[in-house]
Amino acid sequence: MSAQRSGRTAVTGIGVVAPNGLRTDAYWKSVREGVSVLDRITRDGCGHLPLRVAGEVRGFDASAFIEETFLVQTDRFSHFAMAAAGAALDDAGLSGKAAGSPYSVGVVTAAGSGGGEFGQRELQKLWGQGSRYVGPYQSIAWFYAASTGQISIRGGFKGPCGVVASDEAGGLDAVAHAGRAVRRGTDVVVVGAAEAPLAPYSMVCQLGYPELSTAEDPAVAYRPFTSRARGFVPAEGGAVLVVEDADRARRRGTAIRATVAGHAATFTGASRWDRSREGLARAIQGALDEAGCAPEEIDVVFADALGTPEADRAEALALTDALGPHGTRVPVTAPKAGFGRAYCGGPLLDIAAAVLAMEHGQVPPTPGVFDICHDIDLVTTRARPAELRTALILSRGLMGSNAALVLRQGEQA
Amino acid sequence: MTPRRVAVTGIGVVAPGGIGVPAFWDLLSDGRTATRGITLFDPEGLRSRIAAECDFDPRAHGLGPAVTERADRYIQFALVAADEAVSDCGIDLAAENPWRVAVSLGSAVGGTTRLEHDYVLVSAGGKRWDVDHRAAEPQLHLAFSPSTLASVVAERFGAQGPVQTVSTGCTSGLDAVGYAFHTIQDGRADICIAGASDSPISPITMACFDAIKATSPNNDDPAHASRPFDAHRDGFVMGEGAAVLVLEELEHARARGAHVYCEIGGYATFGNAYHMTGLTSEGLEMARAIDSTLDQARVDPTEIDYVNAHGSGTRQNDRHETAAVKRSLGAHAYDTPMSSIKSMVGHSLGAIGAIEVVACVLAMAHQVVPPTANYETPDPECDLDYVPRTARPRKLDNVLSVGSGFGGFQSAVLLTGTGGRTR
Amino acid sequence: MSNTELTVQELSALMKKAAGVTVDPQDLTARVDTPFAEFGVDSLGLLGIVGELENRHGRALPTDAERCKTPRDFLDLVNGALTTGG
Repeated sequence: MSAQRSGRTAVTGIGVVAPNGLRTDAYWKSVREGVSVLDRITRDGCGHLPLRVAGEVRGFDASAFIEETFLVQTDRFSHFAMAAAGAALDDAGLSGKAAGSPYSVGVVTAAGSGGGEFGQRELQKLWGQGSRYVGPYQSIAWFYAASTGQISIRGGFKGPCGVVASDEAGGLDAVAHAGRAVRRGTDVVVVGAAEAPLAPYSMVCQLGYPELSTAEDPAVAYRPFTSRARGFVPAEGGAVLVVEDADRARRRGTAIRATVAGHAATFTGASRWDRSREGLARAIQGALDEAGCAPEEIDVVFADALGTPEADRAEALALTDALGPHGTRVPVTAPKAGFGRAYCGGPLLDIAAAVLAMEHGQVPPTPGVFDICHDIDLVTTRARPAELRTALILSRGLMGSNAALVLRQGEQA
Repeated sequence: MTPRRVAVTGIGVVAPGGIGVPAFWDLLSDGRTATRGITLFDPEGLRSRIAAECDFDPRAHGLGPAVTERADRYIQFALVAADEAVSDCGIDLAAENPWRVAVSLGSAVGGTTRLEHDYVLVSAGGKRWDVDHRAAEPQLHLAFSPSTLASVVAERFGAQGPVQTVSTGCTSGLDAVGYAFHTIQDGRADICIAGASDSPISPITMACFDAIKATSPNNDDPAHASRPFDAHRDGFVMGEGAAVLVLEELEHARARGAHVYCEIGGYATFGNAYHMTGLTSEGLEMARAIDSTLDQARVDPTEIDYVNAHGSGTRQNDRHETAAVKRSLGAHAYDTPMSSIKSMVGHSLGAIGAIEVVACVLAMAHQVVPPTANYETPDPECDLDYVPRTARPRKLDNVLSVGSGFGGFQSAVLLTGTGGRTR
Repeated sequence: MSNTELTVQELSALMKKAAGVTVDPQDLTARVDTPFAEFGVDSLGLLGIVGELENRHGRALPTDAERCKTPRDFLDLVNGALTTGG
């Protein structure tokens, strides 16, 4: 435990594996330019299903990032998580075995869908061939804790390890959880979420979500905040951050890319989007309180942008409820309209985009969205230059969670 | 600033051998076992065909079709345990500020039993990869999402504060209680419905533990198959169930004149960064978790009166945690009873950590240590006092519950009696 | 192939498939007394190899099979079991 601690949680590393970029720089380029990569689903065995459009991670060669001994025993969702964790640790200058005690580095992930493709393969062996054909890795690949465990083992990290198995908002909760671990005395936490929900059976499991968009045309499938909003499209991928105490980061001469200033979470019931207005507003107020941040200080909002009329209306109204008149003036964006909602991975991708937006002084646009029917200043078409010191990231989950996170601009080492 | 203190004011349990706290405590204090041949499905062809099952009729506990249609067996367990805990704590939740009521529930495998059931329907019995969605049941998405557990429980009680599902393998229950402890300690809620549930007795889960030979193949003698710390132990016996605790900020509980069972004195978890299923023989990381909880509560190792063990009954686990407890408690470990209730109720994966915390609360309430059933033959590598077969009266002020989970998780929760704080 | 011997080549292929460990058969022959752990084959990997062999041959291998420390121990044990029939 370090002697001097600021009590502030710094983001010092970012790793991304997303449908619109397999690395952080490629991701930011796509986000800044408002590229949409939503497309018809091409994964094996999925073509006949009534879920047509998603954000697929294409061209991802897991063996380029991860040793084969890890690959054979893990699902695609853990491949994404391990690859993103590796990139985040590189970015933070912490690759290889972390200096100091192994207990000083913890791992936290959020997971909302588990190792579905691996699980389906083993279920097929069990029911098609017999129980003796189920392999030894089913016990460690399918469950929600797989990514945390493998990142911990691969990196030798023995600090506090946790898993929030959650709906989308769990991605923000995991980052807050990591921040609290840092405040309790852990030096560094590797925190993130990545999902791989595009295997045939996993897709069948999602068909029951009333908010799912089953549109055939990628150009209209996911259009949050418009009069033609018809639901969300799922995505693969996610992001991992390295967070640590801000003073510790300064002492080791690492750039602080942003600080996690505040977070709060509430619950208003599954698919009760009318009630999410109050839940989200309270989460925003709670996050601002924890951050000691006035509403007017928020320079940009990364919206949840579920993409159903009722949910979009609730979010737009929650912004005004929580931020007052500033709620209609602050720039709002939803880059995920260009690549989909990666469940728990979605909020992590938003955090990554928010950090990059603050660093580049640009609010990225909401791809494919032009005809906004709510009273918010949604940034569309192209990135808008602005000095961004504080960002608000919002998330709501299909099971009823609401969460808000406040990020402050970082500083160079 | 002194951290807010966290009290246990209500408990509820659904466990094999009897539903509800009284039946559960009867089983534990009698040292009876609830392990038997699997009846929930035909286990023909499996290596381990035994389990500790709950004889559970949701209707008998007031769960009507509107609930059972949406809520899978493991969620039904959690609802019944939560009903009991909330009733026990005596809070009128409707009169509380709902934004200050949180939920923290754990599950290792969540909705996998339903996921497997529907998988068989859509794949024509495992024949096709391109599954046919038309055969799926309408509520399948609720089994897919692990957060359904906390969501359904939160809706039942009108909780609107932080609601989370925790899934850290077999430490999920301990960690869910730990996260709840932190939630109240940090001031993010005043009340938290905390616990865990799992109903993993299904072909896929049994088969995946078969594949790594972690479960006991003692199919001929199921009642004596779960043998933690015994020299002849040969794996764990699968279980199912749920336990829920109402955790409450201590002043909040005192202000309403609540009965306080005990306090959560400390919680810690570490990763072993060693192996997804393997454990070292030293137990350094679990020892560190124990040490941390003692530090938090300012309790000396010699003040520990009972250790509720993970005690799964695998060769490596029992050796691992014996080493860990000796490392943390030193010579005092030999004077400290340490028992495993998995000998009686089996190993319900993510649920068991919460069930064990409830067992510890009851042990303190009754001042009785539950035994390790089936313990007969000492193992030289496991040389502590495992409370063989018979419950034992003892003064219990500070009680520790520990657990290990796939993924390398090593967790500990310390319960302190209301008068047990030394400083 | 129910009574054929397990060769080093086959073991090498199984190590790749079940444990993700690439060892050239010639190299494996030369290092047949090197512990599995040094090749990167852990307990789960060896269980996977045993399971694969059991399914191929339609019979159980001795329970000690997954406890073998080296490729030579494993080959000896498995081939002893496979060639003795019963």
